[in-house]
Amino acid sequence: MSNTRLHSTVAFFGLALGFTVSMIGFGDYGEMNAMFTFQDFRMFLAFAGGVTLVAAGFVALKVAPSRTKMIHKGTVPGSILFGAGWAISGGCPTIPLVQVAEGYVPALATIAGITVGMLGYRKLNARFLHIDSGSCSV
Amino acid sequence: MTEWLPWWAGALGLAFTSLGYYLALGRVFGVSGSWERVLRWKSERETEVLDAQFAEMIAQRRQAAAASAAASGDVQVLERAPAVGGGQPPSGSGAQPAKAGPAHATPQERLPVSTQATFLAAAFIGGVVAALTSGRFEVRTDMGPDFANLVVDGWLMWPVLFFGGILVGVGTRMSGGCSSGHGLNGCGRIEPASILATCLFFGTAVVMSTLLWKVI
Repeated sequence: MSNTRLHSTVAFFGLALGFTVSMIGFGDYGEMNAMFTFQDFRMFLAFAGGVTLVAAGFVALKVAPSRTKMIHKGTVPGSILFGAGWAISGGCPTIPLVQVAEGYVPALATIAGITVGMLGYRKLNARFLHIDSGSCSV
Repeated sequence: MTEWLPWWAGALGLAFTSLGYYLALGRVFGVSGSWERVLRWKSERETEVLDAQFAEMIAQRRQAAAASAAASGDVQVLERAPAVGGGQPPSGSGAQPAKAGPAHATPQERLPVSTQATFLAAAFIGGVVAALTSGRFEVRTDMGPDFANLVVDGWLMWPVLFFGGILVGVGTRMSGGCSSGHGLNGCGRIEPASILATCLFFGTAVVMSTLLWKVI
């Protein structure tokens, strides 16, 4: 695949992701809180339905688990920290990008926080934790 | 009242993105992984240069062995010569077994880091397009009335969002994925680590959001 075609393909699916996430309502803090507090099941069903369809698709394509994602000592504390951060800021890594795209200027603070958190964790992990947390295979 | 996608349309959109990405590129995406790679831009580029040099060296050895075999008529030399791309690149990180991908994909090689920047930029543009086409685009210096009611209002919003972002950044890297890498694609591939991580981060978000809603 040529470099231009590769970037075009990646860009197409990036556009699709950003568009879908925004249109579902993940960028809206109230909608997200309503999902997490089970006041409204629409977004929860969109996410769970998406996972179910993806799982069905991977089964149909006979895709086995990658085995690059192992349960390790960072899985539990990392997931808890992420969940807390998501509830407070309303942002998993895609969502602050979408929030800024929708005009929410303060979401830039979330983006800055994610950047600082990732850079800080890299140093922390290299020096103290030494966790091999696998790869998203991107 | 904003009109959001019905749940089934959202599910179809997410599944289209995930499965389409896999079918087109032979791998799954993870936004936190893309973000992390973009933040390591310099070292990622250095690794890519090393990988390219390694591949070129292997190709030259292959050509030299083939030329030698043709000159001497020794077919065994050709058979022993390393295949192009058959060696392990020096970086090796993030490698996946080739059998998992579609026939046209090369999942043993990571996508260039520039594609990850493209992916994030495109996600941003996708959000702009969605906001403009649905009439929701509005430049504002708050996070909406729900954030003000449930979390905090005024200037305190900025450090709170920054702190929440730090938790997201540290947490996603510590657990090895986020709502797309673990949640959508990991659970979709029935990865035990992703199922555990998704249950935990979703459960924690439920508890925290309920506390913000009912208590704080």
